[in-house]
Amino acid sequence: MRPPHTPSGTEAGPAPLGAALPWTARLRLPRGGLSEWLSGGFLLALVLGAVFVEAIPGLAGPEFPWGDFSQPPEWSLNGLLGTDPLGRSILSRVLHGARTTLTITLLATAIALGAGLLLGMLAGFYRGMVERAVDLYANAVAALPPILVILALVAVVGNSVLTMTLALGLLDIGTYARVAKGGAIAQGERDYILAARAMGASDGRLLLREILPNLLPSLTALVPPLMAGLIVTEGSLSFLGYGIPPPAPSWGGMVASSTDLLDRFPLLVVGPILAIVLTVYALNTVGDALARRLGGRDRAA
Amino acid sequence: MPKAMRPAGAALLRAVGMRLLGGIPVFLLVTFAATALADLMPGSAAQAILGDTATPEQIAALNARYGYDLPVWERYGHWLWRLLHGDLGETLFSRQPVAGLLLDRALVTFQIAFLAMGLSLLVSLPLAMLAASRPGGALDNALRAVTSLMLSVPTFVIVVMLGFLFAIVLRWLPATGWVAFTEDPLGNLESAILPVLCLSAHQAATFYRVGRSEILAVLQEDYIQVARAKGLPLRHILLRHALRPALPQLLAVMGLSMTYLLGGSFIVESYFAVPGIGWTVLAAVSSHDLPVMQAILALTVAIFVVVFILVDLGYALIDPRIEVA
Repeated sequence: MRPPHTPSGTEAGPAPLGAALPWTARLRLPRGGLSEWLSGGFLLALVLGAVFVEAIPGLAGPEFPWGDFSQPPEWSLNGLLGTDPLGRSILSRVLHGARTTLTITLLATAIALGAGLLLGMLAGFYRGMVERAVDLYANAVAALPPILVILALVAVVGNSVLTMTLALGLLDIGTYARVAKGGAIAQGERDYILAARAMGASDGRLLLREILPNLLPSLTALVPPLMAGLIVTEGSLSFLGYGIPPPAPSWGGMVASSTDLLDRFPLLVVGPILAIVLTVYALNTVGDALARRLGGRDRAA
Repeated sequence: MPKAMRPAGAALLRAVGMRLLGGIPVFLLVTFAATALADLMPGSAAQAILGDTATPEQIAALNARYGYDLPVWERYGHWLWRLLHGDLGETLFSRQPVAGLLLDRALVTFQIAFLAMGLSLLVSLPLAMLAASRPGGALDNALRAVTSLMLSVPTFVIVVMLGFLFAIVLRWLPATGWVAFTEDPLGNLESAILPVLCLSAHQAATFYRVGRSEILAVLQEDYIQVARAKGLPLRHILLRHALRPALPQLLAVMGLSMTYLLGGSFIVESYFAVPGIGWTVLAAVSSHDLPVMQAILALTVAIFVVVFILVDLGYALIDPRIEVA
């Protein structure tokens, strides 16, 4: 789905690190545009903020009133993004929301990447029935809007953080598996696999030691954009009221709870909207940069 | 892409048949999973649907009507059998036929989706051609920045922002509500503007990116250089020579974006109170209306299969040399 946009980005392959280079060459930071560095910095700050939110001195709790309701931003830690309709600090809620969202999407990505990689490699290596089954699953998931799949699950088991995590994980298995399968098929035809096989390497060794390392670049480049997609899906469901259950702060839920008051307090939605838009933008930018650098962009579609 | 020359008719028909055959397992898998949903419910499905206050008689009545006490295979068999007779069952509480209900709702969603598709093509393609004719120019750079920002704004944010702008600040458009086309065609169009605008933002950005990179690639071809050397005006080259080779890729993206449009309709329809498919699903989730849920999952997969057949047919129409695989 992500079309390439610069023909100039193709020239940068992974630079071979020759033996002649001093060991410090490995520490040299890769070249990158300003927006790539800013995006990386923003993501780092967001992750740090989400992890250490409890330890920020003076930051109010996300579920307790801190000041007057629906106040515009002011120059203080808790009031930096204003207060919500119940007088709670929006900054605190945005950071706690980041914690929930990042935990869910990271876990879901781990599930999807792990299962997708395994299934995709088996499908590409053994073909036959495994490949058919993986293709069928990938096609079925691709045919449905993610929101619909999760809503169908929520209709029977109710919405919770666990449902959301598992459902998001299930959604992306197909995409990772498809890319891993394509890579495994392409690698399986190479001479070095034939050579390794001739030397008596077992299937397990071929898959883990020969094929897997060659799949990692294209799969790594796939992680940021797919994570961005999961964050949007989670936000959309929380916005609709079927995502993260309400007392806990979530970006989508914060936007939804402010929409009735928009005519009088339009600044209420600024905090959560900035959080989700910047996060998605940063992930997409980092993903594009990774894809260019790792040369996996041809498969990123 | 296969290039073999073949008379179109028979080969095309076979290709469509293959697509249909390929779609059947996907359809069966999704509808079976939808039937199995009831078994995921905690405790007995009928009890979970009716709540704790349900009497044993009510539970027995629900089981008698929908067979939630039967094994999943049997329920699926019944569902398929009825589907073959054009019967999708009844909604859980109001007991309307699901098929008729869905038809009404789907028309609303389709109207918005098609208008959004048309609008985004109308906006994005001319811009893509202009930008591609001068790569690296001011317009190209500005649009690259704008589209990557637009693709980072989730639909639920677009909905809130455009709703705020047009309904609260400018007061040009009604904030919510839907007027049926049969009641008042002009009012219908007016109530469709905001939903269509919101769905178009992403679409336009996606089409622009694909269109620009495809047209840019085509413009490098020798025959374009010849056309330029002949002194043909740029507009003529872009419209007559560059657009058509870029269309297959665009068509594929249009097909893929149907899932996005359906997904976006959940947000747009719930926010602007539009009685379409998305709105129906949301109502079905809170009332555990499994028959409606199942029918909509089936409908969505069917739409997906049909759209891809149309995309294949479109390929053949654009470029008769293409043998559809």
